[in-house]
Amino acid sequence: MESTPKVEFLNMTFDLTIIIGTTVTCLIVFLISVLATRGLSRVPRGLQNLVEMAIDFVRGITRMTYDNKTADKYVVFSYTLFMFILVANQLGIFLMVTMHADQPFPALGIAEDDHVAWFKSPTADLSVTLAMAVAVALYTHIVGIRSGMKNYLGHYLTPLGPIHLIEEFSKPLTHGMRLWANIFAGEILITIMITEGSPLITGAPVIVWMGFSLFVGAIQAYIFTVLANVYISQKMAH
Amino acid sequence: MSFTWGTMLFQVVAILILMFLLKRYALGPVMKVMNERSEHIEQQITTAEQNRAEAEKLVAEQKEALSQARQEAKDLLERARAQKEREAEEIIRDARERAERLISEAKSEIISEKEQAIQELRDEVGTLSVMLASKMIEKEIKAKDQSALVKKYLNQVGELQ
Repeated sequence: MESTPKVEFLNMTFDLTIIIGTTVTCLIVFLISVLATRGLSRVPRGLQNLVEMAIDFVRGITRMTYDNKTADKYVVFSYTLFMFILVANQLGIFLMVTMHADQPFPALGIAEDDHVAWFKSPTADLSVTLAMAVAVALYTHIVGIRSGMKNYLGHYLTPLGPIHLIEEFSKPLTHGMRLWANIFAGEILITIMITEGSPLITGAPVIVWMGFSLFVGAIQAYIFTVLANVYISQKMAH
Repeated sequence: MSFTWGTMLFQVVAILILMFLLKRYALGPVMKVMNERSEHIEQQITTAEQNRAEAEKLVAEQKEALSQARQEAKDLLERARAQKEREAEEIIRDARERAERLISEAKSEIISEKEQAIQELRDEVGTLSVMLASKMIEKEIKAKDQSALVKKYLNQVGELQ
């Protein structure tokens, strides 16, 4: 397992690789979206079609989970999540930068003879996916409390209350880990196939696996977005 | 695999910033345009439907007007034909009448002329026959008279002598 450069700041550890990956992903998503929406016209042209397609797709997701009025409010949220995860998942398939450290570099927490990853999918890191899952989970609780404290608390005071309570922890955990595990496994296998063994043997499988990873990345982005919306809508007053 | 709180914080903040920027600079305008478009399309569809209904109504009206006009034209033609026939008949009748009148006039004239001619002829024949008769009488008298006169004169001459 490769280590990553880390920086201590305000008593918190920042993983530089992830920060680079997240920043790059955010920039790509933002640039695609903004470039596609320059010179908006009522009759869509070129890239505008692409973004509108994505918006329609995301709107489909929100319409599945909310009523039509609420659905439009969550389009931006869902679009951001979906596009970020999608781009992040695909980034690591095509671009992984690893270095071999000949000398230790204590400032970045790199020991001697480490394999240092400088660039990979941010979603292949558990901190990233769990951070998003937990943030979504916290938001769902805010939504639940705002839509009625009595209803929100009453949910846990039923005979099935303890199970619901456990669910509140298992939901973000599985939510985050599902995404992370899929992408992480994909990257690990790609790394292994590229670094170990003869390219003559692993060449064809790695291409197939990369294709499959692209598919898995898209599916996981979709699943994460859908689940986030489902969790939010579950907490809304019915 | 370890949790790094800083990374988690950074991730959440980054997503929130991305969300805000996307809403501000990309999705907000696009969604506005999309809503405008769907409204525009809806409006266009209603307008098109209205127009179509109106057009259909107009077509029906036009059709009715056309059939009415056709009927009128037919009536007009029918009337004109009837009138024409009537006039033709009248003209023929007039012509026939006039011809008959002319014929009868001519006939009567011929008759009167004939009678007149016959009268004239008769007169002429009368005169001629009278003339002829007088001439013939005169001639007889003359011969007889002459000899008688001669005789008488001779007698008278003789007596006187």
